[in-house]
Amino acid sequence: MAKTVKIALAGEGGQGVQSVAGIMVEAAYEEGREALYIPNFGVEQRGGVSVAYCQISDEKIGSPKFVYADLVIALSDRAVLRTKQYVNQDTIFIYDTSIEGIENDLPTNAKKILAIPALEIAKKELHPRVFNVIIMGVAIAATDFVDMKAIQTALEKKLGYKFEQDPKLRDLNFKALARGAELVKDLL
Amino acid sequence: MAEKPIQGEKRVFMTGNEVVAWAALAADVDIMYGYPITPQNEIMHYWTRLAPKYDRKFLQTEDEISAGFTTCGGVLSGKRAFTATAGPGNTLMQEAMTMAEMMRIPLVQVVQQRGGPSTATVIYSQQEVTMTCYGGNGEGLRIVYSTGSHQELFDYTIKAFNIAWKYRFPTCVLGDGYQAKMRESLYIYDPAIKGIEMTNTYPFVGSDGMPGIDREPNHLRNTYNTEEELYEVVKNLVTEYEKISPEVVEYQTFDTDDAEIVIIAHGIVTRAAQAAVNSLREQGIKAGHFRPVTLRPFAGEQLRAIAKKAKKIIVAESAQGQLRKLVTDAIYGESVPLENYFKPGQGITAEELVDYVKGL
Repeated sequence: MAKTVKIALAGEGGQGVQSVAGIMVEAAYEEGREALYIPNFGVEQRGGVSVAYCQISDEKIGSPKFVYADLVIALSDRAVLRTKQYVNQDTIFIYDTSIEGIENDLPTNAKKILAIPALEIAKKELHPRVFNVIIMGVAIAATDFVDMKAIQTALEKKLGYKFEQDPKLRDLNFKALARGAELVKDLL
Repeated sequence: MAEKPIQGEKRVFMTGNEVVAWAALAADVDIMYGYPITPQNEIMHYWTRLAPKYDRKFLQTEDEISAGFTTCGGVLSGKRAFTATAGPGNTLMQEAMTMAEMMRIPLVQVVQQRGGPSTATVIYSQQEVTMTCYGGNGEGLRIVYSTGSHQELFDYTIKAFNIAWKYRFPTCVLGDGYQAKMRESLYIYDPAIKGIEMTNTYPFVGSDGMPGIDREPNHLRNTYNTEEELYEVVKNLVTEYEKISPEVVEYQTFDTDDAEIVIIAHGIVTRAAQAAVNSLREQGIKAGHFRPVTLRPFAGEQLRAIAKKAKKIIVAESAQGQLRKLVTDAIYGESVPLENYFKPGQGITAEELVDYVKGL
Protein backbone atom coordinates (compact mmCIF):
# COMPACT_ATOMS: atom_id res chain seq x y z
CA MET A 1 0.00 0.00 0.00
CA ALA A 2 1.28 3.47 -0.83
CA LYS A 3 2.36 5.58 2.05
CA THR A 4 0.04 8.37 3.08
CA VAL A 5 1.75 11.45 4.47
CA LYS A 6 -0.15 12.81 7.47
CA ILE A 7 0.39 16.34 8.69
CA ALA A 8 -1.18 18.27 11.57
CA LEU A 9 -0.59 22.02 11.59
CA ALA A 10 -1.72 23.93 14.66
CA GLY A 11 -1.55 27.53 15.72
CA GLU A 12 -3.54 30.42 17.07
CA GLY A 13 -6.42 31.59 14.93
CA GLY A 14 -4.93 34.13 12.51
CA GLN A 15 -1.47 32.57 12.27
CA GLY A 16 -2.45 31.24 8.89
CA VAL A 17 -2.24 27.47 9.35
CA GLN A 18 -5.45 26.89 7.38
CA SER A 19 -4.18 28.93 4.43
CA VAL A 20 -0.91 26.99 4.46
CA ALA A 21 -2.78 23.68 4.55
CA GLY A 22 -5.06 24.80 1.73
CA ILE A 23 -2.14 25.72 -0.52
CA MET A 24 -0.22 22.51 0.25
CA VAL A 25 -3.10 20.16 -0.59
CA GLU A 26 -3.99 22.20 -3.65
CA ALA A 27 -0.40 21.77 -4.88
CA ALA A 28 -0.56 18.01 -4.29
CA TYR A 29 -3.92 17.79 -6.07
CA GLU A 30 -2.59 19.73 -9.06
CA GLU A 31 0.30 17.26 -9.25
CA GLY A 32 -2.24 14.47 -9.68
CA ARG A 33 -1.92 13.15 -6.13
CA GLU A 34 -4.82 12.36 -3.81
CA ALA A 35 -5.15 14.90 -1.04
CA LEU A 36 -7.56 15.35 1.82
CA TYR A 37 -7.69 18.37 4.07
CA ILE A 38 -10.04 19.05 6.93
CA PRO A 39 -9.89 22.07 9.18
CA ASN A 40 -10.97 21.65 12.76
CA PHE A 41 -13.66 24.09 13.64
CA GLY A 42 -15.60 24.97 16.75
CA VAL A 43 -18.43 27.28 17.69
CA GLU A 44 -16.16 30.22 18.44
CA GLN A 45 -16.11 33.06 15.92
CA ARG A 46 -12.45 33.86 16.48
CA GLY A 47 -9.52 32.86 18.64
CA GLY A 48 -8.79 29.42 19.95
CA VAL A 49 -6.38 26.85 18.58
CA SER A 50 -6.77 26.22 14.88
CA VAL A 51 -5.74 22.78 13.59
CA ALA A 52 -5.45 21.69 9.97
CA TYR A 53 -5.34 17.97 9.20
CA CYS A 54 -3.79 17.11 5.82
CA GLN A 55 -3.20 13.80 4.14
CA ILE A 56 -1.47 13.25 0.81
CA SER A 57 -1.23 9.92 -0.95
CA ASP A 58 -1.09 8.16 -4.31
CA GLU A 59 -4.33 6.34 -3.50
CA LYS A 60 -7.76 7.33 -2.27
CA ILE A 61 -7.50 8.40 1.35
CA GLY A 62 -9.39 6.76 4.24
CA SER A 63 -10.71 8.56 7.30
CA PRO A 64 -10.37 12.34 7.27
CA LYS A 65 -8.70 12.40 10.66
CA PHE A 66 -5.85 10.24 11.83
CA VAL A 67 -4.46 8.87 15.05
CA TYR A 68 -0.78 9.75 14.52
CA ALA A 69 0.84 12.24 12.20
CA ASP A 70 4.13 12.00 10.35
CA LEU A 71 4.63 15.67 10.97
CA VAL A 72 3.19 17.94 13.64
CA ILE A 73 3.92 21.66 13.58
CA ALA A 74 2.76 23.60 16.63
CA LEU A 75 2.98 27.38 16.62
CA SER A 76 1.73 28.35 20.08
CA ASP A 77 1.79 26.99 23.61
CA ARG A 78 -1.81 25.85 23.41
CA ALA A 79 -1.15 24.30 20.02
CA VAL A 80 1.64 22.20 21.57
CA LEU A 81 -0.74 20.88 24.23
CA ARG A 82 -3.46 20.22 21.69
CA THR A 83 -1.34 18.32 19.17
CA LYS A 84 0.83 16.18 21.46
CA GLN A 85 -1.78 13.44 21.08
CA TYR A 86 -0.90 12.98 17.39
CA VAL A 87 2.73 12.13 18.15
CA ASN A 88 4.25 8.64 18.18
CA GLN A 89 7.70 7.18 17.55
CA ASP A 90 7.46 7.97 13.82
CA THR A 91 6.47 11.61 14.20
CA ILE A 92 8.61 14.66 13.59
CA PHE A 93 7.41 17.34 16.00
CA ILE A 94 8.31 20.92 15.17
CA TYR A 95 7.60 23.97 17.28
CA ASP A 96 8.59 27.59 17.16
CA THR A 97 11.40 28.70 19.47
CA SER A 98 9.45 31.80 20.48
CA ILE A 99 6.94 29.73 22.45
CA GLU A 100 7.68 30.13 26.13
CA GLY A 101 7.07 27.86 29.08
CA ILE A 102 6.41 24.62 27.25
CA GLU A 103 9.69 22.85 27.99
CA ASN A 104 7.91 20.34 30.22
CA ASP A 105 4.95 19.91 27.92
CA LEU A 106 6.77 18.83 24.79
CA PRO A 107 6.10 15.29 23.66
CA THR A 108 8.70 12.78 24.79
CA ASN A 109 7.90 9.99 22.35
CA ALA A 110 8.57 11.67 19.01
CA LYS A 111 11.07 10.45 16.41
CA LYS A 112 12.51 13.95 16.38
CA ILE A 113 11.69 17.19 18.12
CA LEU A 114 12.86 20.30 16.36
CA ALA A 115 12.72 23.90 17.49
CA ILE A 116 12.80 26.43 14.68
CA PRO A 117 13.07 30.22 14.91
CA ALA A 118 10.49 30.88 12.19
CA LEU A 119 8.81 33.80 13.91
CA GLU A 120 12.13 35.48 14.63
CA ILE A 121 13.32 35.04 11.04
CA ALA A 122 10.01 36.36 9.72
CA LYS A 123 10.34 39.46 11.86
CA LYS A 124 14.05 40.14 11.44
CA GLU A 125 14.97 38.88 7.98
CA LEU A 126 11.74 38.94 6.00
CA HIS A 127 8.34 40.20 7.05
CA PRO A 128 5.90 39.02 9.76
CA ARG A 129 3.24 38.42 7.11
CA VAL A 130 5.23 35.58 5.55
CA PHE A 131 5.58 33.70 8.82
CA ASN A 132 3.14 31.05 7.59
CA VAL A 133 4.97 30.71 4.27
CA ILE A 134 8.17 29.91 6.19
CA ILE A 135 6.14 27.24 8.00
CA MET A 136 5.02 25.88 4.65
CA GLY A 137 8.65 25.59 3.55
CA VAL A 138 9.38 23.75 6.79
CA ALA A 139 6.49 21.34 6.24
CA ILE A 140 7.44 20.53 2.65
CA ALA A 141 11.11 20.03 3.45
CA ALA A 142 10.30 17.80 6.42
CA THR A 143 7.97 15.50 4.49
CA ASP A 144 8.95 15.88 0.82
CA PHE A 145 5.42 14.98 -0.26
CA VAL A 146 5.42 17.43 -3.10
CA ASP A 147 7.98 19.25 -5.18
CA MET A 148 8.87 22.78 -4.08
CA LYS A 149 8.12 23.88 -7.67
CA ALA A 150 4.52 22.70 -7.28
CA ILE A 151 4.16 24.77 -4.14
CA GLN A 152 5.48 27.82 -5.95
CA THR A 153 2.89 27.23 -8.67
CA ALA A 154 0.14 26.90 -6.06
CA LEU A 155 1.32 30.11 -4.36
CA GLU A 156 1.33 31.84 -7.70
CA LYS A 157 -2.22 30.67 -8.32
CA LYS A 158 -3.41 31.84 -4.93
CA LEU A 159 -1.50 35.13 -4.68
CA GLY A 160 -0.73 35.85 -8.33
CA TYR A 161 -2.99 38.90 -8.44
CA LYS A 162 -1.09 40.41 -5.51
CA PHE A 163 2.27 39.52 -7.06
CA GLU A 164 1.22 41.37 -10.21
CA GLN A 165 0.61 44.53 -8.22
CA ASP A 166 3.82 44.24 -6.26
CA PRO A 167 6.45 41.86 -7.70
CA LYS A 168 8.51 42.25 -4.53
CA LEU A 169 5.87 40.18 -2.77
CA ARG A 170 6.65 37.23 -4.99
CA ASP A 171 10.32 37.38 -4.03
CA LEU A 172 9.39 37.72 -0.40
CA ASN A 173 7.12 34.68 -0.47
CA PHE A 174 9.52 32.51 -2.43
CA LYS A 175 12.37 33.57 -0.16
CA ALA A 176 10.27 32.67 2.89
CA LEU A 177 9.51 29.29 1.39
CA ALA A 178 13.19 28.60 0.70
CA ARG A 179 14.23 29.88 4.12
CA GLY A 180 11.72 27.55 5.80
CA ALA A 181 13.08 24.59 3.87
CA GLU A 182 16.64 25.51 4.86
CA LEU A 183 15.66 25.63 8.50
CA VAL A 184 14.74 21.97 8.66
CA LYS A 185 17.32 20.69 6.15
CA ASP A 186 19.94 21.85 8.63
CA LEU A 187 18.27 20.01 11.48
CA LEU A 188 17.09 16.74 9.94
CA MET B 1 -32.20 28.77 -21.39
CA ALA B 2 -28.92 29.17 -19.59
CA GLU B 3 -26.20 26.74 -20.60
CA LYS B 4 -25.50 23.60 -18.62
CA PRO B 5 -23.67 24.33 -15.38
CA ILE B 6 -21.25 21.45 -15.93
CA GLN B 7 -20.05 20.62 -19.43
CA GLY B 8 -19.02 16.98 -19.73
CA GLU B 9 -16.99 15.74 -16.81
CA LYS B 10 -14.15 17.30 -14.85
CA ARG B 11 -11.92 16.51 -11.92
CA VAL B 12 -12.23 18.99 -9.06
CA PHE B 13 -10.97 19.49 -5.53
CA MET B 14 -13.55 21.05 -3.22
CA THR B 15 -15.49 20.80 0.04
CA GLY B 16 -18.51 18.53 0.37
CA ASN B 17 -20.90 21.44 0.78
CA GLU B 18 -19.71 22.84 -2.53
CA VAL B 19 -20.15 19.37 -4.05
CA VAL B 20 -23.82 19.28 -2.97
CA ALA B 21 -24.50 22.69 -4.51
CA TRP B 22 -22.93 21.61 -7.81
CA ALA B 23 -24.83 18.32 -7.76
CA ALA B 24 -28.14 20.13 -7.24
CA LEU B 25 -27.30 22.44 -10.14
CA ALA B 26 -26.37 19.50 -12.35
CA ALA B 27 -29.62 17.75 -11.34
CA ASP B 28 -31.62 20.66 -12.71
CA VAL B 29 -32.95 21.71 -9.34
CA ASP B 30 -35.27 24.70 -9.57
CA ILE B 31 -35.12 26.00 -6.03
CA MET B 32 -33.49 25.55 -2.66
CA TYR B 33 -35.14 26.56 0.60
CA GLY B 34 -32.93 26.88 3.62
CA TYR B 35 -31.99 28.25 6.96
CA PRO B 36 -28.34 28.46 8.04
CA ILE B 37 -26.82 25.99 10.47
CA THR B 38 -23.24 24.73 10.69
CA PRO B 39 -21.80 22.55 9.21
CA GLN B 40 -24.03 22.78 6.12
CA ASN B 41 -24.07 26.58 5.63
CA GLU B 42 -21.88 26.58 2.57
CA ILE B 43 -24.41 24.50 0.61
CA MET B 44 -26.60 27.61 0.76
CA HIS B 45 -23.68 29.92 0.19
CA TYR B 46 -22.51 28.14 -2.95
CA TRP B 47 -26.07 27.68 -4.16
CA THR B 48 -26.87 31.37 -3.82
CA ARG B 49 -23.67 32.23 -5.66
CA LEU B 50 -24.25 29.76 -8.48
CA ALA B 51 -28.05 29.64 -8.80
CA PRO B 52 -28.73 33.09 -10.31
CA LYS B 53 -26.32 32.36 -13.16
CA TYR B 54 -28.53 29.46 -14.21
CA ASP B 55 -31.96 30.92 -13.48
CA ARG B 56 -32.42 28.93 -10.30
CA LYS B 57 -33.99 30.27 -7.13
CA PHE B 58 -33.32 30.40 -3.42
CA LEU B 59 -35.50 31.30 -0.48
CA GLN B 60 -34.10 31.84 2.99
CA THR B 61 -36.84 31.09 5.49
CA GLU B 62 -37.21 32.15 9.12
CA ASP B 63 -36.32 28.73 10.52
CA GLU B 64 -36.06 25.05 9.63
CA ILE B 65 -39.74 24.35 10.24
CA SER B 66 -40.46 26.82 7.50
CA ALA B 67 -37.63 25.58 5.30
CA GLY B 68 -39.11 22.08 5.43
CA PHE B 69 -42.65 23.19 4.65
CA THR B 70 -41.68 25.64 1.91
CA THR B 71 -39.76 22.78 0.28
CA CYS B 72 -43.00 20.75 0.44
CA GLY B 73 -44.80 23.71 -1.15
CA GLY B 74 -42.23 24.08 -3.90
CA VAL B 75 -42.58 20.40 -4.78
CA LEU B 76 -46.40 20.61 -4.75
CA SER B 77 -46.15 23.37 -7.32
CA GLY B 78 -44.07 21.08 -9.52
CA LYS B 79 -40.58 22.33 -8.78
CA ARG B 80 -37.55 20.15 -8.20
CA ALA B 81 -36.82 21.47 -4.73
CA PHE B 82 -34.52 20.68 -1.84
CA THR B 83 -33.35 21.87 1.53
CA ALA B 84 -30.30 21.19 3.68
CA THR B 85 -29.81 21.17 7.41
CA ALA B 86 -28.07 19.62 10.42
CA GLY B 87 -28.54 18.78 14.09
CA PRO B 88 -31.19 20.87 15.83
CA GLY B 89 -32.31 22.12 12.40
CA ASN B 90 -33.00 18.54 11.35
CA THR B 91 -35.09 18.16 14.52
CA LEU B 92 -37.27 21.11 13.56
CA MET B 93 -37.59 19.84 10.01
CA GLN B 94 -39.09 16.52 11.04
CA GLU B 95 -42.63 17.81 11.02
CA ALA B 96 -42.36 18.70 7.34
CA MET B 97 -40.68 15.36 6.66
CA THR B 98 -43.68 13.51 8.09
CA MET B 99 -46.06 15.63 6.01
CA ALA B 100 -44.01 14.68 2.96
CA GLU B 101 -44.35 11.04 4.02
CA MET B 102 -48.10 11.31 4.44
CA MET B 103 -48.75 13.26 1.24
CA ARG B 104 -46.08 11.48 -0.84
CA ILE B 105 -44.19 14.71 -1.52
CA PRO B 106 -40.88 13.99 -3.26
CA LEU B 107 -38.74 16.52 -1.48
CA VAL B 108 -35.01 16.06 -1.06
CA GLN B 109 -33.29 16.83 2.21
CA VAL B 110 -29.52 16.95 2.64
CA VAL B 111 -28.29 16.45 6.21
CA GLN B 112 -24.71 17.11 7.34
CA GLN B 113 -24.71 15.53 10.79
CA ARG B 114 -23.16 17.44 13.68
CA GLY B 115 -22.70 16.36 17.28
CA GLY B 116 -25.63 15.95 19.65
CA PRO B 117 -27.71 15.99 21.79
CA SER B 118 -28.84 19.60 21.47
CA THR B 119 -26.39 22.25 20.23
CA ALA B 120 -23.39 20.03 21.08
CA THR B 121 -20.63 20.41 18.45
CA VAL B 122 -20.76 21.87 14.96
CA ILE B 123 -18.18 19.35 13.86
CA TYR B 124 -19.21 15.77 13.16
CA SER B 125 -21.23 12.76 14.25
CA GLN B 126 -23.45 9.97 13.03
CA GLN B 127 -26.06 10.78 15.63
CA GLU B 128 -28.83 11.80 13.24
CA VAL B 129 -29.41 8.32 11.88
CA THR B 130 -32.51 7.52 13.93
CA MET B 131 -33.97 10.97 13.33
CA THR B 132 -33.29 11.07 9.60
CA CYS B 133 -34.70 7.55 9.15
CA TYR B 134 -37.56 7.62 11.62
CA GLY B 135 -38.00 11.16 13.00
CA GLY B 136 -41.38 12.70 13.62
CA ASN B 137 -44.73 11.08 14.28
CA GLY B 138 -44.76 8.56 11.49
CA GLU B 139 -43.41 5.29 10.22
CA GLY B 140 -40.16 6.45 8.64
CA LEU B 141 -41.38 6.10 5.06
CA ARG B 142 -38.34 7.76 3.51
CA ILE B 143 -35.34 6.84 1.50
CA VAL B 144 -32.04 7.63 3.20
CA TYR B 145 -28.67 7.44 1.44
CA SER B 146 -25.63 7.50 3.71
CA THR B 147 -22.66 8.77 1.69
CA GLY B 148 -18.99 8.20 2.42
CA SER B 149 -17.05 10.36 -0.02
CA HIS B 150 -17.33 13.48 -2.11
CA GLN B 151 -17.90 11.37 -5.20
CA GLU B 152 -20.87 9.73 -3.52
CA LEU B 153 -22.18 13.06 -2.26
CA PHE B 154 -22.29 14.18 -5.88
CA ASP B 155 -23.68 10.93 -7.30
CA TYR B 156 -26.32 10.41 -4.63
CA THR B 157 -27.51 14.00 -4.50
CA ILE B 158 -28.37 13.70 -8.19
CA LYS B 159 -29.86 10.27 -7.64
CA ALA B 160 -31.95 11.46 -4.67
CA PHE B 161 -33.99 13.76 -6.90
CA ASN B 162 -34.69 11.00 -9.38
CA ILE B 163 -35.57 8.42 -6.75
CA ALA B 164 -37.79 10.88 -4.86
CA TRP B 165 -39.74 11.82 -7.99
CA LYS B 166 -39.90 8.28 -9.31
CA TYR B 167 -41.32 6.79 -6.14
CA ARG B 168 -42.79 9.86 -4.47
CA PHE B 169 -41.21 9.32 -1.08
CA PRO B 170 -39.14 12.00 0.64
CA THR B 171 -35.46 11.26 0.09
CA CYS B 172 -32.51 12.22 2.26
CA VAL B 173 -28.80 12.40 1.57
CA LEU B 174 -27.16 11.81 4.92
CA GLY B 175 -23.66 13.24 5.10
CA ASP B 176 -21.77 14.61 8.08
CA GLY B 177 -19.64 17.54 9.15
CA TYR B 178 -16.44 15.88 7.94
CA GLN B 179 -17.90 15.40 4.49
CA ALA B 180 -19.27 18.93 4.59
CA LYS B 181 -15.99 20.62 5.45
CA MET B 182 -13.19 18.51 4.10
CA ARG B 183 -11.65 18.90 0.67
CA GLU B 184 -10.91 15.95 -1.57
CA SER B 185 -10.94 15.18 -5.27
CA LEU B 186 -13.89 13.93 -7.27
CA TYR B 187 -15.38 14.06 -10.74
CA ILE B 188 -18.36 16.28 -11.32
CA TYR B 189 -20.35 15.77 -14.49
CA ASP B 190 -23.39 16.55 -16.53
CA PRO B 191 -25.75 13.62 -15.65
CA ALA B 192 -26.70 13.28 -19.34
CA ILE B 193 -23.21 12.08 -20.32
CA LYS B 194 -23.62 9.17 -17.88
CA GLY B 195 -26.97 8.29 -19.38
CA ILE B 196 -28.77 9.69 -16.35
CA GLU B 197 -32.06 11.22 -17.34
CA MET B 198 -33.70 13.49 -14.78
CA THR B 199 -37.19 12.28 -13.84
CA ASN B 200 -39.88 14.72 -14.97
CA THR B 201 -41.43 16.95 -12.36
CA TYR B 202 -45.05 18.04 -12.38
CA PRO B 203 -47.42 20.08 -10.21
CA PHE B 204 -49.54 18.22 -7.68
CA VAL B 205 -52.14 20.96 -7.51
CA GLY B 206 -53.93 23.06 -10.11
CA SER B 207 -54.03 20.30 -12.74
CA ASP B 208 -56.19 20.81 -15.84
CA GLY B 209 -59.70 19.39 -16.08
CA MET B 210 -62.51 18.75 -13.64
CA PRO B 211 -61.51 16.40 -10.83
CA GLY B 212 -63.71 13.29 -10.80
CA ILE B 213 -64.86 13.89 -14.39
CA ASP B 214 -61.83 14.59 -16.56
CA ARG B 215 -59.29 13.07 -14.23
CA GLU B 216 -58.75 11.44 -10.86
CA PRO B 217 -58.77 13.97 -8.04
CA ASN B 218 -55.38 14.82 -6.53
CA HIS B 219 -55.87 13.62 -2.99
CA LEU B 220 -53.38 15.50 -0.89
CA ARG B 221 -54.44 14.91 2.69
CA ASN B 222 -52.65 14.72 5.96
CA THR B 223 -55.77 14.93 8.16
CA TYR B 224 -58.19 12.09 8.77
CA ASN B 225 -61.32 11.74 10.84
CA THR B 226 -61.53 8.11 11.83
CA GLU B 227 -59.18 5.47 13.11
CA GLU B 228 -60.25 3.09 10.36
CA GLU B 229 -59.62 5.62 7.64
CA LEU B 230 -56.13 6.44 8.91
CA TYR B 231 -55.31 2.78 9.44
CA GLU B 232 -56.09 2.04 5.83
CA VAL B 233 -54.07 5.00 4.56
CA VAL B 234 -51.00 4.15 6.62
CA LYS B 235 -51.22 0.47 5.70
CA ASN B 236 -51.33 1.41 2.03
CA LEU B 237 -48.35 3.73 2.44
CA VAL B 238 -46.38 0.98 4.18
CA THR B 239 -47.32 -1.59 1.53
CA GLU B 240 -46.23 0.78 -1.21
CA TYR B 241 -42.95 1.49 0.60
CA GLU B 242 -42.24 -2.19 1.10
CA LYS B 243 -43.01 -2.90 -2.53
CA ILE B 244 -40.44 -0.43 -3.82
CA SER B 245 -37.83 -1.23 -1.16
CA PRO B 246 -36.08 -4.07 -3.03
CA GLU B 247 -35.59 -1.72 -6.01
CA VAL B 248 -34.22 1.05 -3.85
CA VAL B 249 -32.07 -0.74 -1.30
CA GLU B 250 -28.29 -0.44 -1.75
CA TYR B 251 -25.35 -1.92 0.12
CA GLN B 252 -21.72 -2.90 -0.40
CA THR B 253 -19.71 -5.85 0.84
CA PHE B 254 -15.96 -6.13 1.21
CA ASP B 255 -14.41 -9.59 1.68
CA THR B 256 -17.51 -10.92 3.42
CA ASP B 257 -17.60 -14.28 1.58
CA ASP B 258 -15.36 -16.12 4.01
CA ALA B 259 -15.30 -13.49 6.77
CA GLU B 260 -15.32 -14.64 10.38
CA ILE B 261 -15.35 -11.10 11.72
CA VAL B 262 -17.63 -8.64 9.97
CA ILE B 263 -17.46 -4.90 10.63
CA ILE B 264 -20.71 -3.06 9.91
CA ALA B 265 -20.33 0.66 9.33
CA HIS B 266 -22.03 3.32 7.24
CA GLY B 267 -21.27 6.78 5.90
CA ILE B 268 -17.75 8.05 6.22
CA VAL B 269 -16.83 5.28 8.71
CA THR B 270 -16.93 2.82 5.81
CA ARG B 271 -13.58 4.28 4.74
CA ALA B 272 -11.98 3.26 8.02
CA ALA B 273 -13.71 -0.14 7.90
CA GLN B 274 -12.53 -0.85 4.35
CA ALA B 275 -8.95 0.09 5.19
CA ALA B 276 -9.11 -1.93 8.44
CA VAL B 277 -10.28 -5.02 6.56
CA ASN B 278 -7.39 -4.70 4.08
CA SER B 279 -4.91 -4.39 6.89
CA LEU B 280 -6.43 -7.28 8.90
CA ARG B 281 -6.43 -9.52 5.83
CA GLU B 282 -2.74 -8.75 5.29
CA GLN B 283 -2.20 -9.96 8.84
CA GLY B 284 -4.08 -13.19 8.13
CA ILE B 285 -7.28 -12.30 9.95
CA LYS B 286 -10.48 -13.19 8.10
CA ALA B 287 -12.25 -9.88 8.36
CA GLY B 288 -14.97 -8.44 6.15
CA HIS B 289 -17.07 -5.31 5.98
CA PHE B 290 -20.77 -4.79 5.32
CA ARG B 291 -21.84 -1.29 4.43
CA PRO B 292 -25.48 -0.27 4.11
CA VAL B 293 -25.69 2.57 1.58
CA THR B 294 -29.41 3.05 2.12
CA LEU B 295 -30.22 3.13 5.82
CA ARG B 296 -33.93 3.26 4.91
CA PRO B 297 -34.82 0.87 3.43
CA PHE B 298 -32.18 -1.36 5.04
CA ALA B 299 -30.56 -4.34 3.32
CA GLY B 300 -31.80 -6.73 6.00
CA GLU B 301 -31.92 -9.95 4.00
CA GLN B 302 -28.44 -9.46 2.62
CA LEU B 303 -27.04 -8.74 6.05
CA ARG B 304 -28.80 -11.75 7.54
CA ALA B 305 -27.08 -14.05 5.04
CA ILE B 306 -23.71 -12.65 6.12
CA ALA B 307 -24.60 -12.81 9.82
CA LYS B 308 -25.44 -16.51 9.50
CA LYS B 309 -21.87 -17.29 8.45
CA ALA B 310 -19.94 -14.84 10.61
CA LYS B 311 -18.48 -15.70 14.00
CA LYS B 312 -18.60 -12.13 15.23
CA ILE B 313 -20.10 -8.85 14.12
CA ILE B 314 -18.79 -5.45 15.13
CA VAL B 315 -20.98 -2.39 14.72
CA ALA B 316 -18.72 0.66 14.35
CA GLU B 317 -20.35 4.08 14.38
CA SER B 318 -19.88 7.65 15.60
CA ALA B 319 -23.04 7.36 17.69
CA GLN B 320 -24.19 5.31 20.67
CA GLY B 321 -25.89 2.48 18.82
CA GLN B 322 -28.16 4.15 16.27
CA LEU B 323 -26.83 1.95 13.44
CA ARG B 324 -26.89 -1.01 15.79
CA LYS B 325 -30.65 -0.62 16.21
CA LEU B 326 -31.07 -0.95 12.43
CA VAL B 327 -28.77 -3.98 12.47
CA THR B 328 -30.45 -5.84 15.34
CA ASP B 329 -33.85 -5.13 13.83
CA ALA B 330 -32.66 -6.59 10.52
CA ILE B 331 -31.01 -9.76 11.87
CA TYR B 332 -33.32 -10.51 14.81
CA GLY B 333 -33.11 -14.17 15.72
CA GLU B 334 -29.54 -14.76 14.57
CA SER B 335 -27.15 -15.99 17.24
CA VAL B 336 -23.95 -14.30 16.07
CA PRO B 337 -22.43 -12.23 18.90
CA LEU B 338 -22.45 -8.45 18.40
CA GLU B 339 -19.70 -6.16 19.61
CA ASN B 340 -20.04 -2.40 19.76
CA TYR B 341 -17.46 0.15 18.70
CA PHE B 342 -19.36 3.31 19.57
CA LYS B 343 -17.78 6.76 19.48
CA PRO B 344 -20.63 9.26 19.66
CA GLY B 345 -19.62 12.51 18.00
CA GLN B 346 -16.06 11.38 17.24
CA GLY B 347 -14.34 10.12 14.12
CA ILE B 348 -13.19 6.53 13.70
CA THR B 349 -9.91 5.56 12.00
CA ALA B 350 -8.74 2.33 10.41
CA GLU B 351 -5.91 1.97 12.93
CA GLU B 352 -8.23 1.92 15.93
CA LEU B 353 -10.56 -0.61 14.28
CA VAL B 354 -7.58 -2.88 13.55
CA ASP B 355 -6.42 -2.64 17.16
CA TYR B 356 -9.94 -3.27 18.41
CA VAL B 357 -10.44 -6.38 16.27
CA LYS B 358 -7.05 -7.77 17.26
CA GLY B 359 -7.85 -7.16 20.91
CA LEU B 360 -11.10 -9.15 20.83
